[in-house]
Amino acid sequence: MDAYIVAAKRSAVGKSGKGMFRFTRPDDMAAQVIKGLLKEVPNLDVTRIDDVIVGNATPEAEQGLNIGRMISLLALDTDKVPGVTVNRYCSSGIQTIAMGAQQIHAGMADCIIAGGVETMSPIPFGGWRLTPNAKISKENPEWYWGMGLTAEAVAHQFKITREAQDEFAYHSQRKALEAVESGRFKSGIIPIDVEQVYLDEAGKRQVRNYIADTDEGVRKGTTVEGLSRLRPVFDAKGTVTAGNASQTSDGAAFVILMSEKMLKETGATPIAKLASYGVVGVEPRIMGIGPVDAIPKAAKMAGLKVDDIELFELNEAFASQSLAVLQETGINPDIVNVNGGAIALGHPLGCTGAKLTVQIIEEMKIRQQKYGMVTMCVGTGQGAAGVIEML
Amino acid sequence: MKRAIKKVAVLGSGVMGSAIAAHFANVGCKVLLLDIVPDEAKESTKKQERNAIVNGHLKASIKSKPAPLYSSKFASRIETGNFTDDMSKIAKYDWIIEVVIERLDIKKIIFEQVEKFRTPGTLITSNTSGIPIHLMLDGRSDDFKAHFCGTHFFNPPRYLKLFEIIPTPETKPEVVAFLMDYGKKILGKTTVLCKDTPAFIANRIGVFAIMALFHSVKELGLTVDEVDKLTGPVLGRPKSATFRTADVVGLDTLVLVANGLKDNTPNDEANALFTLPDYVGKMIDNKWLGSKTKQGFYKKVKDENGKSQILSLNLDTLEYEPKKRVKFPTLEMTKPITDLSKRMGILFGGKDKAGEFYRSVFGSLFAYVTNRIPEISDEVYRMDDALRAGFGWQQGPFEAWDAIGLDKALKVMEAAGKKPAAWIYEMKEAGFDSFYKVENGKRLYYDIPTKSYLEIPGQEKTLSLALLRDEHTLWKNNDCSIIDLGDGVINLEFHSKMNTIGGEVIAGINKAIDMAEADYSALVISNEGENFSAGANVGMIFMMAVEQEYDELDFAIRSFQNTVMRIRYSSIPVIVAPHGMALGGGCEISMHADKVIAHAETYIGLVEFGVGLIPGGGGSKEFALRLSDELHDGDIRTNQFRNRFLTVGQAKVATSAYEGFELGYLRPGIDEVIVSRDFHLAYAKQSALLMAEKGYTQPSQRTDIKVMGQEAMGLVYSGANSMMSGNYMSKHDEVISIKLGSVLAGGDLSEITEVSEQYLLDLERKAFLELCTERKTLERIQSIVTKGKILRN
Repeated sequence: MDAYIVAAKRSAVGKSGKGMFRFTRPDDMAAQVIKGLLKEVPNLDVTRIDDVIVGNATPEAEQGLNIGRMISLLALDTDKVPGVTVNRYCSSGIQTIAMGAQQIHAGMADCIIAGGVETMSPIPFGGWRLTPNAKISKENPEWYWGMGLTAEAVAHQFKITREAQDEFAYHSQRKALEAVESGRFKSGIIPIDVEQVYLDEAGKRQVRNYIADTDEGVRKGTTVEGLSRLRPVFDAKGTVTAGNASQTSDGAAFVILMSEKMLKETGATPIAKLASYGVVGVEPRIMGIGPVDAIPKAAKMAGLKVDDIELFELNEAFASQSLAVLQETGINPDIVNVNGGAIALGHPLGCTGAKLTVQIIEEMKIRQQKYGMVTMCVGTGQGAAGVIEML
Repeated sequence: MKRAIKKVAVLGSGVMGSAIAAHFANVGCKVLLLDIVPDEAKESTKKQERNAIVNGHLKASIKSKPAPLYSSKFASRIETGNFTDDMSKIAKYDWIIEVVIERLDIKKIIFEQVEKFRTPGTLITSNTSGIPIHLMLDGRSDDFKAHFCGTHFFNPPRYLKLFEIIPTPETKPEVVAFLMDYGKKILGKTTVLCKDTPAFIANRIGVFAIMALFHSVKELGLTVDEVDKLTGPVLGRPKSATFRTADVVGLDTLVLVANGLKDNTPNDEANALFTLPDYVGKMIDNKWLGSKTKQGFYKKVKDENGKSQILSLNLDTLEYEPKKRVKFPTLEMTKPITDLSKRMGILFGGKDKAGEFYRSVFGSLFAYVTNRIPEISDEVYRMDDALRAGFGWQQGPFEAWDAIGLDKALKVMEAAGKKPAAWIYEMKEAGFDSFYKVENGKRLYYDIPTKSYLEIPGQEKTLSLALLRDEHTLWKNNDCSIIDLGDGVINLEFHSKMNTIGGEVIAGINKAIDMAEADYSALVISNEGENFSAGANVGMIFMMAVEQEYDELDFAIRSFQNTVMRIRYSSIPVIVAPHGMALGGGCEISMHADKVIAHAETYIGLVEFGVGLIPGGGGSKEFALRLSDELHDGDIRTNQFRNRFLTVGQAKVATSAYEGFELGYLRPGIDEVIVSRDFHLAYAKQSALLMAEKGYTQPSQRTDIKVMGQEAMGLVYSGANSMMSGNYMSKHDEVISIKLGSVLAGGDLSEITEVSEQYLLDLERKAFLELCTERKTLERIQSIVTKGKILRN
């Protein structure tokens, strides 16, 4: 039984820390995206939704207490639909879409909301209470390396120079700026209402409301020269800088998946389907090359060759690993991240897989293409890739 | 009625204004800092734009090094504003300090505005280094005049101790007395009452001394390098000596003061000296002004290998030349002598060019200062105070003269035709041969009009070991002394080289505790060296480690541990009163006090990591103990662990006592900070007495210290590996980090476990000894012992 994507939407992506979503909790943000998504399928009776599957890479604090269930309660105005939280770090947002599709394939569900949310503003990278296993830390410390160190290891092993990384980052910014300024993402974005309660200069309580609907990560005026002046941040002698790494971000993105039966019931129009989804394991030390094995695996499962893929969204965790992936797979860089990537637009971890799915669907609509792929490296040595087939 | 200062308004936010504002914030005042509205914001209604100048200045000041604030958190005590919108606020301020540009006309405009808003009776002072104070009174109200006084902070105000106070004839005596007391007690300054004479006291004499050197250097055929060697630490003066100081201050600034003196002191017998020698004029023309223009008397260049080299100026050719090694037989003779006064005699009597130089320089200086009485001061001690506090001299001119001997110097001066004032001969005829003497722990000065010794005022509530040492030393060995402070309190002072802690200091601490337990009420550990202590004697550790005398080393560390434990666990209260650097072992001693009374300028830290070790004298144990005590239910304990770990692992040294609290070396609610060094010892003694009188019982050793075991070790291993892999530390740093981590974690215990202090002391001693067997640790220690440099290997 096939599973069809009938709607796919995301929030704009905010900068973490000082960005537009710093007053917005992840559960509230995700609920607003899902409410917007439901408007795409006006005939859907929400109680017919079988599950809400939420990807999240740091399911604790604001994102804890099974945020998936909180989101279903907040978004659907019914207590009949359950919710679950799924974590495979940076591929969580597409992992959930795959899981939803699989349930429908297996005949275990007819309608699933799947996607991901991450607000990195309130929660430190890796979570609040980092407590590594002493034995692992001693014997395999690189399993716990921060992602930046793995990006350095990739740069070193695959001989990716600082210059190449800065050049790559510059183009990501350039393409993203053009896309944001031309409003190319607008059709995929649900505007989010934000409320800030604060004390003014006189110490008086004030309330401010605004709408957040535009990605804010892009840095206008970025130059290769400017990027080349930044200092490495993970390795004193390294090449990875804040400029050629992805940004920490806040965002949410979801899709509605339906069985054929449900399509008929609601009269919804299928847009696309997830033709395959594959994950692989690699050495944790060089986590960033995960897509090198995941890309052919996913293509093969979909009955395709890598060459058949017309458009890629490769999550730019780091320029170094993106370049290593391009170098090792030989895929045509011109069809990768045509609207820029996470270096410019941000990387809200658990949301990213779903966010890139929304983006590739919107772009393939414009380009009238059939096969696209979303792929990313995943912490502790993993890679993930999914083929999106447009209908 | 008692005057209370809660709120201070500082008008003018330049380098001095911002730094003065910061220092008042340091001592707890709420400060309003004002400056002009920028021209481009005259029409603006936005506060941010209207206050751009003051905010910019304050921000730059706070960021500058050395920091003007004791803690960056104190910045919140300073509110900013501008003269146009906020001047009316001064009505609610207790003290208004004017620090605008050094122009009388502008100062007057500001005073007119102040008159409009100031509340009668509140203090109004002008900070200036050169404008005659009486000229500022023109057109002012009687109340203004009565409460108006000139002041002169030295830059940077937090660090330089001198605070000159210059009343006018109309200043109320109560105001002068208040400022003298406030400056000393609250601001921690040496307050010197000055007359309203050009450049006041310190700059008049100090600039004279520099100008005299500028003129005589060529006559005596000396070089820049030679003069700096001769006028630096050997004389008890800063390392920057004469020419390097000029470079730091800026030749233009110096020339400004000198020109001012030349114009305003026509009757000064040495007025001609304030005329610039030719080479200074040329340097000014060339813009060789010192550090600010990157070259002055010295210039730093890079050779072809990229190595920095310092060149010095040849005053004849005005070319920069490589520095030459300076050698004089007289200097060699004084090398082993640590007592400055004893050194002075030898220097002055030297038979070489150095001796000739000293006789000439001091002869001129002595003659000059005698002739400044009563012009700039009626008393000798004010001049000495000003030079010590303002220029960092250990001895002022009259003190130096005492060290050399009245007659000895007088004969040399007479032979050279240098004429001291008549009162010197009257003093000699009356049978007096020194300007100072010590009696009953108080310092007396020779009073010229009464021809007698009088007590220097302001000593009623202060204590000084220097003044007690001769008459009240109870016991001593080579490295420390026990001095009776009276009222049942004794003091242990270190006087080893750099006040390092070796066997004799350990013996002294034990002796002092023995004595106090037997016959006294309390013990204070403090000293009056440049620093409290540079730490344990690592040279000794190095010797034992190289010789592989591990049993002896174990014994020595154990003895250090037992001694710090006795500091906390004895039947008498022990107060440790550090100042300046309190590093390594000096920090560990402080951390085991019943109470620390730290001078605000205390630079405390556990720095063992830098020499390839971990704190082994109870420091690591104490950090584990404090970590356990500061955790509350539900805290993210691994983060707290990480903070404690990083403080030691990065060898963090506090830049003030307040930062010492932030870094966890000092304990909130127990340890205290005092700003005034003059009152430091007296307050430490009082605190010790209070604890004794309250009823002191020996505390019990702790057995309830919660350590985290494996939970924390995971963080230690992975964190250390990441730092090493990211080239932020070496492989050996990783080794040391893991040793430190395992002590703080209490080893590899499976669950959070309560352990005793002795358990942790044994762990830290074992880790310390293991590190002493590491070649790379020995290389680090060797580097610090032989080169004084931290080796990163």
